[in-house]
Amino acid sequence: MKASGPVQLVAQLRDLQIVDREGANCGIVDDIELAGKPGETLRIKALLVGPGGYSGRLPGWAMALVRRIAGSGCIHVPWDEVESITSVVRLRCKASEIGLARGEGRARRWLPDIAVLK
Amino acid sequence: MKISELALGILTAVGGFVDVSELVFMSQAGSRFGYALIWVVVIATVGIMVFGEMSGRVAAIAKQPVFSMMRHRLGLKLGLVTLIASFISNLIICAAEIGGVALVLNLLTGGPYWLMAILATAAFMASVWVLPFKWIERSYGLLGLFMIVFIVALVAIHPPWGEIGRAMVPHIPAGLSGRDLLAFGYFSVALISAVMFPYEAYFYSSGGIEDGWTAKDLGINRLTTIVGFGLGSLLALSLLASSAQLFGPAGISPDLVGTAALQAAVPFGKTGLLLALLGMLFAISGAAIETCLANAYSLCQFLGWRWGRHRPPRDAPRFTLTWLAVFALALVIVLSGVQPVQLAEYAVVTSILVLPLTYLPLLLLAGDRTYMAAHTNGVLAKTLGWGFYVLVCLAALAALPLYLITSGGTL
Repeated sequence: MKASGPVQLVAQLRDLQIVDREGANCGIVDDIELAGKPGETLRIKALLVGPGGYSGRLPGWAMALVRRIAGSGCIHVPWDEVESITSVVRLRCKASEIGLARGEGRARRWLPDIAVLK
Repeated sequence: MKISELALGILTAVGGFVDVSELVFMSQAGSRFGYALIWVVVIATVGIMVFGEMSGRVAAIAKQPVFSMMRHRLGLKLGLVTLIASFISNLIICAAEIGGVALVLNLLTGGPYWLMAILATAAFMASVWVLPFKWIERSYGLLGLFMIVFIVALVAIHPPWGEIGRAMVPHIPAGLSGRDLLAFGYFSVALISAVMFPYEAYFYSSGGIEDGWTAKDLGINRLTTIVGFGLGSLLALSLLASSAQLFGPAGISPDLVGTAALQAAVPFGKTGLLLALLGMLFAISGAAIETCLANAYSLCQFLGWRWGRHRPPRDAPRFTLTWLAVFALALVIVLSGVQPVQLAEYAVVTSILVLPLTYLPLLLLAGDRTYMAAHTNGVLAKTLGWGFYVLVCLAALAALPLYLITSGGTL
């Protein structure tokens, strides 16, 4: 059976780059949260971003390793915030408004404020 | 784009083509098998031209960096395996380059190897942090052009041009023993790997995306990959041919990075030696920075973080922390005492294992009309692309057994 329609959309969405309103990279679609019950139409509820989104996609031992190294945090990006899907997923909002790319701020604290030549 | 800009870009590509693995393997291959492996370098050069052009075209049209498309095309599991393998391989190459720079500095100044490695790494970190990337790329690339002395030296020692020309036709020399045949196979795989290092594709395509390439830049992309890589390969070939002419008959096995510089010293004395060492210093330094940044690109693109060498370091903090950590780790490897030549051997073996996984998503995306529209692979790119893909798969399968059986070509 070949994937088509919504199933294919889900397959194409996974592992796509996410870009916020200002064009900044802010994560990858690590998994997708679906909503719906048996007999109802499934719909995408949110995009999952972060190592927590890997569970179910990696073998148990690999997932345990990922948890040890990177934790199991996961941000739920509401589907309504998705503006368009091309070769990237573009959001309507800024990354910081939905808790994405917080790691950039944490990393910045480690870096000295040394001037650069332009 | 102005002609001068284009010429500068091509010259930078030429000066930045040769790295420590090529210096080591070209010299060793020439010394052991004469001109017989020239055809392997020629084929591998066409291979890097094909994949380089393709990665630049994908960057210009689909705006997809290699590791982003790799994860999307191969999925999380296989993508993660590729990321880890490629990270380790690039880290080893980066360590080999830092070790190579330290050896050259040791020859130039007489300072201790370990101190030269620390100073070189500190200088790389400072220059990547402070200087605009165009300056770094241009200065290391253009100063690497001192290596042209190797081409001039080859002409000066009057090699048998007819024999060199005939060696461009694929052949296996007659009369090789079983051991020599295996070593010939090992050196063939090592040369393919050294010329087609995967970091070159990551680095080149990421640069294209950052520079905002569009369909208008496809001509420049083609020229840079064909002319730049082609002339760069001539530099590498001159190392092999000089070694075949000078070291082979004298029974010298160039097991040290610095031995290659003697090829220029034979016809030109001290001046030749100095120019060769300076060329090697800047070419290897450029490669150290490229491999380090290639690792930062891979990790950030795989995880969707901000990345970019044109951004100030604090604007892409995780990218910056990654390249700083890669430099530090590579320095630790160098200071652990593993010799650069040994590192170069590990580098070519691990890199060839990564090549098939790197180039598959690139081939798939470059042939996908949905993303590439009118710029999808034509008949020539498709044929050459898949042809070289089969070649790198075969080389990857043979690499580890050949390395183990021949003890790294010393059998």
